[in-house]
Amino acid sequence: MPLVATPAVVLRTYRYSETSKVVRLATRECGVQSAIAKGALRPRSPFGAGLELLSEGVAQLYLRDGRELQTLAGFDVANLRRELALDLGRFAGATALAEIVLRMAPAASHPAAYDALVAGLDSLVATGIAAADAAGIRALWRLLAVLGFEPSLRGCVRDDTPVDADHPVTFSAAEGGVLCERCAAERPEAAQTRLAARDYRDLLVLNDPTAPLPALDAKHAAAHRRLVARFVRHHSGEADRFPALELWERHSWAPLSPPQPVAS
Amino acid sequence: MSAIDDLVTELARLPGIGSKTAQRLAFHLLKEPAEAAERLAQAIRRVRSQVMACGTCGNLADEDPCAICRDPRRDATLLCVVEEAKDVAAIERAGRYRGRYHVLGGRVSPLDGVGPEALRVGPLVERVRNGSGVREVIVATNPSMEGEVTATYLQQVLRPTGVRVTRIARGLPVGGDLEYADGVTIAQALAARREMGEE
Ligand SMILES: [Zn+2]
Ligand SMILES: [Zn+2]
Repeated sequence: MPLVATPAVVLRTYRYSETSKVVRLATRECGVQSAIAKGALRPRSPFGAGLELLSEGVAQLYLRDGRELQTLAGFDVANLRRELALDLGRFAGATALAEIVLRMAPAASHPAAYDALVAGLDSLVATGIAAADAAGIRALWRLLAVLGFEPSLRGCVRDDTPVDADHPVTFSAAEGGVLCERCAAERPEAAQTRLAARDYRDLLVLNDPTAPLPALDAKHAAAHRRLVARFVRHHSGEADRFPALELWERHSWAPLSPPQPVAS
Repeated sequence: MSAIDDLVTELARLPGIGSKTAQRLAFHLLKEPAEAAERLAQAIRRVRSQVMACGTCGNLADEDPCAICRDPRRDATLLCVVEEAKDVAAIERAGRYRGRYHVLGGRVSPLDGVGPEALRVGPLVERVRNGSGVREVIVATNPSMEGEVTATYLQQVLRPTGVRVTRIARGLPVGGDLEYADGVTIAQALAARREMGEE
């Protein structure tokens, strides 16, 4: 059985027994893998504190083709990302990224998707709470793009007619991009969203990793979260399997509302 | 399905029990006197029919309110917040904590679809706010990422109440659950708790 060392991020952990964990890993060289970490829950485990959700390191895996559960021989943790636990919004965004890798990444090795995941997690750690939403939204769009779901934003998704960034525009989650005025009028559908000129420009900037993050107020951030979440649901084919994305999209924990008086 | 297969299937559904162990247990129950198996069946039935969640703290008990909530010797100014009722049992086994508890019923885990609204956070805030005399809330969620983000969230919701919010020390191994920690470790982690928001 070959022993492979590959950069990896922990996407999911399950208790397997009193002493062992099963982890789902995004690996840079071997795609998404499930592996058993024997003894990971023992007090002085060789895995140390590394096998925690969203931590990154180098995984040593005994890989056997066709096996569903591989064996994790070691995990040299490089980045625990404990900072993400200090803010629920960023944590939810980070788990939404993990969820998209789990559900939408191909089984085979996909280094670009791995790099986009790591870059997204890093940006969530690096940005302050104020910019966390914009960072999360951009990270999701970038990850989707490398997974082959890049939205068409400059030209009409149907006929490539250039779309003017100074006017409101129609975005179709189902078709995967913006529509020119003629196409939008021709065949309106349920999955279309009308974007104000400003929201459209923000969407362009959110999809451009070289541009500074746009400042989004709570209302606009919510609209952009909804848009990308809707896009994911349309393109994954499994709309109901994204609980983390949904939690992040709704931000249902905030603002913390005072208890409502019971109507009598 | 034969009666034996039926039992083996049911046993194998329990956590940590594989099909081999399930078979061993099934044959053991058959070898034992009938009364022993009957006692086990009775105990399972009783636990399901009598045990309930305490309406005050959420701990599992035969009565509501539970024995801990009823006990006047327990310090009512101190509230220890845990994920599950089994964590109450673990801390009680350590035998050093004299305050009361609040069981959340889980931890924030977006990948499992568990957000804060699925937990008993509202009742916690109510307990602290309603002049109950609670002066300190010790957050004893597990030292996992999910446990930490739950702790952060609790600190944020409790801040407006003015109550002192502390976090158990990291004496517990990161990723190690309270449930599996020994009594000395739990007692140390509680004793070395720190004010939250100081980091
Ligand atoms: Zn068009
Ligand atoms: Zn109680």
